Amino acid sequence: MRLIATDLVKVFPGVRALDGVTIDLRPGTVHALLGENGAGKSTLIKILTGVHKPDGGTLRLVPDGWQAPGDAAGGAGGRELHFGGPADAQLAGIGVVHQERNLVPAFSVAENIALQRMPRSRGLVDRAAVRRLAQGCLAELEVELDLDRPVAELSVAQMQLVEVAKALATDSRLLLLDEPTSALTSEESDHLYAVVRRLRDQGRIVVLVSHKLEEVFAVADTVTVLRDGRSVARGLALGNLTRSQVVDLMVGRAHADIELGARSVDPRATPALELEAVSTAGGHRDVSLVVRPGEILGLYGLVGAGRSELARAVLGLDTITSGRLLVGGRPVTIGSVGQALREHRIGYVTENRKEEGIFLEQTVSRNVTVTVWDRLARWGVVRDRSEDTVLARYVDRLGIRLSGPRQLAGQLSGGNQQKLSLAKWLAADCAVLIIDEPTVGIDVRTKAAFHELIAELAEGGLAILLISSDLPEVVTLADRIAVMRDHQLVGEVDNDHHYTTMSGRVIRLVHGESQESGAAEAGASETGAPETGTLETGAPRPGVPAA
Amino acid sequence: MPDTTTSTASQAEPEAPAPAPVDQRRRGLPWWANPRVGLVAVVVALVAIFSGLRPSFLDVDLTLVPMQADITVFVVVGLAQLAVLSLGHMNLAVPRMAALSAFAAGFTYDKLHAPLVVGLLAALLVGTLVGALAGGIITWTGVNSFVVTLALDFGLLGLVALLYSWFTSGVAFSLHPDGMDALRSDTFNDYCAGPICGPPVPLVVPIAVVALVVVGVLFRFSRLGREILMCGSNARAALLSGIPVSRRVIQAHALSGLLCGLAGWLLAINNGAFSASVGENFLLPSFLAPVLGGTLLAGGAVSVVGTLLGAILNSVIQKGLNLLQFEVDQLQIYIGVVLLVALSLDRVRHVLADRRGVRP
Repeated sequence: MRLIATDLVKVFPGVRALDGVTIDLRPGTVHALLGENGAGKSTLIKILTGVHKPDGGTLRLVPDGWQAPGDAAGGAGGRELHFGGPADAQLAGIGVVHQERNLVPAFSVAENIALQRMPRSRGLVDRAAVRRLAQGCLAELEVELDLDRPVAELSVAQMQLVEVAKALATDSRLLLLDEPTSALTSEESDHLYAVVRRLRDQGRIVVLVSHKLEEVFAVADTVTVLRDGRSVARGLALGNLTRSQVVDLMVGRAHADIELGARSVDPRATPALELEAVSTAGGHRDVSLVVRPGEILGLYGLVGAGRSELARAVLGLDTITSGRLLVGGRPVTIGSVGQALREHRIGYVTENRKEEGIFLEQTVSRNVTVTVWDRLARWGVVRDRSEDTVLARYVDRLGIRLSGPRQLAGQLSGGNQQKLSLAKWLAADCAVLIIDEPTVGIDVRTKAAFHELIAELAEGGLAILLISSDLPEVVTLADRIAVMRDHQLVGEVDNDHHYTTMSGRVIRLVHGESQESGAAEAGASETGAPETGTLETGAPRPGVPAA
Repeated sequence: MPDTTTSTASQAEPEAPAPAPVDQRRRGLPWWANPRVGLVAVVVALVAIFSGLRPSFLDVDLTLVPMQADITVFVVVGLAQLAVLSLGHMNLAVPRMAALSAFAAGFTYDKLHAPLVVGLLAALLVGTLVGALAGGIITWTGVNSFVVTLALDFGLLGLVALLYSWFTSGVAFSLHPDGMDALRSDTFNDYCAGPICGPPVPLVVPIAVVALVVVGVLFRFSRLGREILMCGSNARAALLSGIPVSRRVIQAHALSGLLCGLAGWLLAINNGAFSASVGENFLLPSFLAPVLGGTLLAGGAVSVVGTLLGAILNSVIQKGLNLLQFEVDQLQIYIGVVLLVALSLDRVRHVLADRRGVRP
């Protein structure tokens, strides 16, 4: 089968997540789906798997052997698909291996593989049939696993294989792998790539969603690149592309330059926060960075690069094994968030707002004053009125919209909740703020307001370490941009606030390419994958060596 | 008395412009879903029924005075559980923490001939230490409070029996310090200044009042109490807001232990004997009082007034059914049924609150 999506549009309140995406998925290919954060990859996956319904465009399934006359991507024919839910997509033969594993840890390998279609006889699970089904799926992958072992005892890589087998158990002709190797070692990844190639050679469609360019060049045949909700490259053969070209496609040239930076930072001022060759128990090695008062240092990197973990090490939640931490020029050791706050005036606005940032079933007023009760207390007693005074100050300053100080935080909108979790640190009069992914899941308008707010705070003299995976956000706000990859800093650049130049430089750093040599390096060569790909992407390539 | 769960939240649209906060107090859940209102109604109804069937239910000496002494104990027992429910934890060792504390008091009276107050302090100290130990084990091991306190209760059960068998000839301390008998049997009515005598309230009642006020103020106004509630609401967020979560967990459990100590001592005084059986009936009432009163099992919100009302209800039912000459076994069935009904209502309240987006 062949799956063709044409001009998909998906609109969420305030965001046009997909704005004309066309993708042509042919049997016997590994098709990479690339794009920076927020480009629309997740939305596209959710449409393909029946989680979301598109607001425009069509999904068509073309049976094997049917040739589209003329237009390769959009010819008529085939059956139009309308998914009512994920189950419909599964019936249509689309299987997905999600980033977060959806396995039942206490169940055996066989049971997990067969979970979505437990063979039954007389109302009871037919255990022999379960084993047969699972065995068959694993055999197709040429993978050996103990069928009776509980999944909880498997390694992450083995679990990933069980997920793939599980997708095969529902007769999936199309497999979507969402960041499949983000938790795997390189050897385990190679094994998975071999499995992916085998699936391709069986004539299935494999869609590989990945941030790792080397991985894409190693296993994928064709690539579709999304940018700002549009497909800017549709099914190009990777063999004809260099990495640099792919990066250019991801970055684009269309961004307006935004003026929010341009603060005057005294480069001789004593750094408010300084890390000197810090290594941590969490795996960071020799991280050095400096944030001065009135400055925003952007810390960019892919998800999983270890940026939030670095923040946690600064706050004493993770152990610093070597190197020095300096606050206001003095070396310090920090053992807890409370100590960071009360002794060193460092605050941390977490990225997981709902889980870690606010107290959903407590009042707005308590959410903001939780950091200052020790100061508000007279003889150990905190009065509501003194809390409300503190709250009122930040309601105005941050523009928090609420119906009263006793409103529960859980009732506020996402943007207002985010302001609450920022307000508690401002109330505590922090000198250094570490702000982690401040605008994830926030609509465009509030996002802009938030950016102005952060810029304003820096102008007010705060030292801000801005952790963000949103490149436009970093380029908009930061004075300097440090890039982290695999728990190490791989470079730092001064931000000139021109999106076009900055994004290219930063993304090259992220993907491990130096700024100048990017174009020289052809993608596939280092991994041993064949370079015979052409623009003709339909035919499976025989004789691909398995890693 | 402070009430820390008053449903003060509104259901206004998050994006609506801010109206005067004053109106917000009245909105939220309907009045009948307020557990305190329901409790008062049920208590009044039961009192009416029982006194209709048995007029002696309103007899001061026969019923009202002993009932107040009962309520005194069970209010403190309820507060002991409430102290850890605030965290979303449980203390299943309430019975034996009380028993061990009562032993400590009895020991100081019997062996050291200490005055009444010293025994009380010994009970409070032992209770606090055992509670802190429970909290410590929970934070250090990360094991669920349910399991830790269940095991602790089991261990203490044996320890208390052993201690009594070592230090007493029978199963109880027999010597009583000065003032104990007065505290047990006197009411303020027995003390007169000229023609004016006090109300028929047992001398132990003020102790429960003090406990209620202290715990209420703690959770309503103090930094410590508020931080404990924040830990119960979202431990992760509490940690990342600079609250020393482990310390707060230990402190809450220590408070629970302290109140167990007080409850054990009060019961021993009421019974007139420091024996191993002190506290053996504490577990169910300890949950009954706070949960009936609207304290969330999930943590983050407590109601001290509700605990008082819950303890009163518990006591009224026991006394009433007792007067109606129900057997002990039947009594237990009824109490169990009442608890299940109350918990179901609690669930209804949650569903309602969910629909309206307010705090239960």
